[in-house]
Amino acid sequence: MNSDSSFPRRPIPLGVIVMIAAAIHAPLLIMELPARTSYDANFHMFFASHYAQHWFNPWNEKWFAGFSQTTYPPLVHQWIALVSRVIGLNEAFSVVMLIAVLLIPVATYGFAKLWVDERAASYAALLSVFAGTVAFLTYSAGQLPTMMSAPLYFIALSYFYRWSHSAEGGSLWKGVALTLTAASAHHVTLIFGAVLFALPVLWLAAMDGPQDGRSRVAVVARALAFAALSAAGVGIVLLPYWISIIQHPITQIPIPHASRSNLLMSAPIFMNYFIVPYGLLILAFPFIVIRGASVPRLRVLLLAFWVTFLIGLGGTTPFPKWIFGRAFEILTFERFILWATLLALPIVGLLVEEWVDRSGGRAMAGIGFAAVGTLALAMGWLTWSPFRPTGGLNVDAAVEFLNRDGHDQYRYMTLGFGNALPKISTYANAGSVDGEYNSARLLPEMTNYGAGQFTSAKYFGTAGMESLRAMLKHANHYGLKFIFVYDPYYDPLLVFAGWRKVETYNSGQITAWSKEDVPPARKIASDAMPAPWEGLLWGILPLGSSLLAIVLMVLIPDRVRAVDNLVTIPSTADEGVYAREARP
Amino acid sequence: MKAFLPLFIGLVTAGLVAMAWVESGGLALHEMRSAGTPQEAVEALVTDIQSRNWDRAYARLANSNDFEKQAFIRDLAGSSGSLRTYSSLESFKVWPVEAGADDATMRVRLNWSSAVGPLDDVRDLEVKKEGNVWKVVWPKPQFAKVPPQVIPVNYLRWDVIGRGPTDDWGVQNVDNPNVRITSMNAVERPDRVVIVGEVVNEDTVPAYVNVNATLLNSDSKPMDQEGSFDMISHTLLPRQVSPYRIDFPGFHLQQVKSVRMDVKAMLVPASADPVIAVTDQKMDKDPLGKNVLRGALVNQSGQTVNIAQVLADYYDANGRVIWVSDGYVDQALEPQVAVPFAVDVPDDVASKIHNYHVLVNHYSIHEGS
Repeated sequence: MNSDSSFPRRPIPLGVIVMIAAAIHAPLLIMELPARTSYDANFHMFFASHYAQHWFNPWNEKWFAGFSQTTYPPLVHQWIALVSRVIGLNEAFSVVMLIAVLLIPVATYGFAKLWVDERAASYAALLSVFAGTVAFLTYSAGQLPTMMSAPLYFIALSYFYRWSHSAEGGSLWKGVALTLTAASAHHVTLIFGAVLFALPVLWLAAMDGPQDGRSRVAVVARALAFAALSAAGVGIVLLPYWISIIQHPITQIPIPHASRSNLLMSAPIFMNYFIVPYGLLILAFPFIVIRGASVPRLRVLLLAFWVTFLIGLGGTTPFPKWIFGRAFEILTFERFILWATLLALPIVGLLVEEWVDRSGGRAMAGIGFAAVGTLALAMGWLTWSPFRPTGGLNVDAAVEFLNRDGHDQYRYMTLGFGNALPKISTYANAGSVDGEYNSARLLPEMTNYGAGQFTSAKYFGTAGMESLRAMLKHANHYGLKFIFVYDPYYDPLLVFAGWRKVETYNSGQITAWSKEDVPPARKIASDAMPAPWEGLLWGILPLGSSLLAIVLMVLIPDRVRAVDNLVTIPSTADEGVYAREARP
Repeated sequence: MKAFLPLFIGLVTAGLVAMAWVESGGLALHEMRSAGTPQEAVEALVTDIQSRNWDRAYARLANSNDFEKQAFIRDLAGSSGSLRTYSSLESFKVWPVEAGADDATMRVRLNWSSAVGPLDDVRDLEVKKEGNVWKVVWPKPQFAKVPPQVIPVNYLRWDVIGRGPTDDWGVQNVDNPNVRITSMNAVERPDRVVIVGEVVNEDTVPAYVNVNATLLNSDSKPMDQEGSFDMISHTLLPRQVSPYRIDFPGFHLQQVKSVRMDVKAMLVPASADPVIAVTDQKMDKDPLGKNVLRGALVNQSGQTVNIAQVLADYYDANGRVIWVSDGYVDQALEPQVAVPFAVDVPDDVASKIHNYHVLVNHYSIHEGS
């Protein structure tokens, strides 16, 4: 059954794996599922809509009475903005997300081939298509920048290895361009990736170099050159971001986030941030650790996975608090689960290869069941989760109200709209005092209370309601005249504070409230407004870096390695010897 | 290394998880649930109340046979759209009042987060030892029952007509009602300047009223502007008087040269219903020894008032308003049922109070605004 020419003993072609990924995810994305089921899809479309209208002006008046979009790397938003010119905002988001999802197996394949043989790498790539964390971040979290940045960075690391190990000039330029592109999509991935992903790859290159007749010092020197070029490039490409973060470091009172809590103290949170994103991969954890420890080549990868895994547990261990300090209260940790999974997959690919060789069809069936089960659980969680978002809410009436009769002279607020707020902001001309991006908030009514958005104030308890009261008290100052309510919980406060219900929509689900003595909104002065040259850089360099990466990938084809580059992976005594073709 | 690394990873991971579990209160929660002391018994009960685990909370009571679980839930979670139904228990503190070998009295301060702001509730709870476990004797919930009766509806109501479907509320192109500030007093508090006073609707039609104040410095330049927010009755019937209070946190009177007052008034529809009577008013002390104005509210109409806010203004011997305080009542005002209220009064103000006036704002779900 297990002859060398039989299917299970050959690598699965990457094209087939990408087709499988497309077959699973393209229909779900084309039906715009994330726009209805995810937390952040509307947020990213809101940012994109601003670039679609003001490409070179990152100052956005629609949230927080004005904020700078240079506080968030712009690449995916700019790509959505470009594509939206042809197919509309929602579909543009889906297309860019689909590209990210398709890049995941490509990146996994290339990264895994650094550590294991091509067949095991192909299994790793195939399993990445079914990874719970991919489905979770795509359809539940809607974290497009993380989803785009991670595969780009992992692909860049393959080139980083090749440049460091073999001094291939083309790999240097492609790797650096991809690194800049990844940073332009999501800076946090790059910052943490430099330690969690790049250091193990550097270690690997330094270990492999002498075995292949290359000087270890030269390998490290080339790696440092790559790092220096990347750092300089990221410094320039994201210069407006660095200026904004230096000018306004995040000093606001920390806002609670479930991913920071001890997952063991709450069953739904444990489900949301552990069971669902890892799925049946959890069953493989002991084997990952044992197999990773048994192969010297994989030990550093295992340690990187372990550290990332521990961080991904949030407050379930004190480890993230120790290493991040105050930054622990700013970060969210679900993205570490994606990274931990990507780091584990090469070892999982090796395990699958061994299981298939040992048990053939039964192993294939079991692994297939586990993969499909993991994906199914993540998709089912969209329905079963107690944390269901409200992104699918029909907000047309609120938008229509704000866009008529001069109502856009005033600012507005939503209450109980959750992540449907960005949808209103995208299509309404009026500005809001609220907004979904916590890091860009500078209004004292928000930063002094340790609560998130006004629209979700009640979920932050007293801090949230006090923050909301503070803003309502200053309604006249901000020109805050209109409030849309989707949760009658807020009605009593509005009544006692002097707002009056003026209109009702969606069969009474949404009500519009007004306060009559509020003057029209005026510009709120802010020193966070970027200079025009920053807007110019912001509009050119991030997108330019991605175009450069595409051009380099097309113009400089990857060199195919010869047989002398085969690397032997030491294995346990009772098992065969595995070979790897060291080609990204 | 082959054996060491997995062992190391496993042990360190388990150790870290255990550390965080203890740090997150997992161990304390485990001990507390054993209810081995009066303190733990009350804490365990209130923790279950906080997580709305009513079954477990009810099972912790020593006197659960005395009343139904539904009555217990209603006592804590509220009913009839009361403010308590818009509240969640955010935190609590328990401390002993009396302790014996087999019974004790514990005082618990419950901090609720509600739709209108934070609410505090202080209760004394008896705790009894049953075997090795302490159990709380929950005060039997009492719910007033009113016999069936007919309440005549004969209140005044003012409607405003002629408003077009595209007009905003308040845009009627008619003269604004005649509203006047009758008194204003700037009061220095340790952390703020507070403007208190009264405003009257001198017109024959109802008015929507809002009072704003601007602090001016020695150069007559504005330092800060604030509004009365919920410390006023925004809808004033003809001849009705409302107290108002405007807070300026972080300012001191010595920084202020003058105060610019601004009252906005608009014609609005209104009704005199519901009529809420205020009875049994008196200055008193609460269980923590703080000064409060106590009394009871009686809803004299036939419809439930879901949330009531008591606004009280206090006068000195010269008839000047020296303080305004407010408090929300966490029970619904059912028709003809007296509901107690208590409003905080600062100690230094209490000694100067010569008279007071109480006004009740209300929110009813069926009215919505």
